[in-house]
Amino acid sequence: MKTQLTLTPDPIDEPALIAEREMSDGMGAALIFHGVVRAQEGEATIAAIDYEVFDDMACHQFELIFEEIDRQWPIESVRVVHRVGVVPVNEPSLWLELIAPHRAEAFQACQFLINEMKQRVPIWKRPVVLLA
Amino acid sequence: MTVTVKFWSYFKDHTECAETSLELPAGATLGEAHAVVIAQFPVLGDMQSSTLKAVGVNYQPDEFLLSDDDEISLFPPVQGG
Repeated sequence: MKTQLTLTPDPIDEPALIAEREMSDGMGAALIFHGVVRAQEGEATIAAIDYEVFDDMACHQFELIFEEIDRQWPIESVRVVHRVGVVPVNEPSLWLELIAPHRAEAFQACQFLINEMKQRVPIWKRPVVLLA
Repeated sequence: MTVTVKFWSYFKDHTECAETSLELPAGATLGEAHAVVIAQFPVLGDMQSSTLKAVGVNYQPDEFLLSDDDEISLFPPVQGG
């Protein structure tokens, strides 16, 4: 399984990512997921989220998740982009792409990846609150 | 032996530092190191049960035997995505 992980302070350039896609003839599903910053964080209206990441451990934990996906599903490739630093409301902080023969395994692996990421990848968020 | 302890997310705010170092007896465990950190920074005691602990880039249990120069990380639950 091919994997690509990017942790970046830059906005996610989806057209560029899609232009770089590699997908073999036997693949029938290309699943893309955006995790987008919401304006509400609990009771507060926020302007952005400031993401902090422990880079080395995050990369290692993502690799462990990728290995588990490779064992469980026939995924051809996984690409993950997670932003770090300040991400404004309505912008994606997370971009995932999974290429698989069929949709079922793509959706299952996508859910697994996000669930595992939220359990073990050391990324934290701090809301940036709007000033009155 | 000497180990480094790094704090992440709001743990850094509570401790007012990004890292500290500990002198521990040979054979000390991660759980024992955590207890020493809490003695040094009592505010982290309130979050003891939810604190995640890693050595290097791997999560480890309290029973994990530390080695000289290990780098411990202590942090709150993660929140990626």
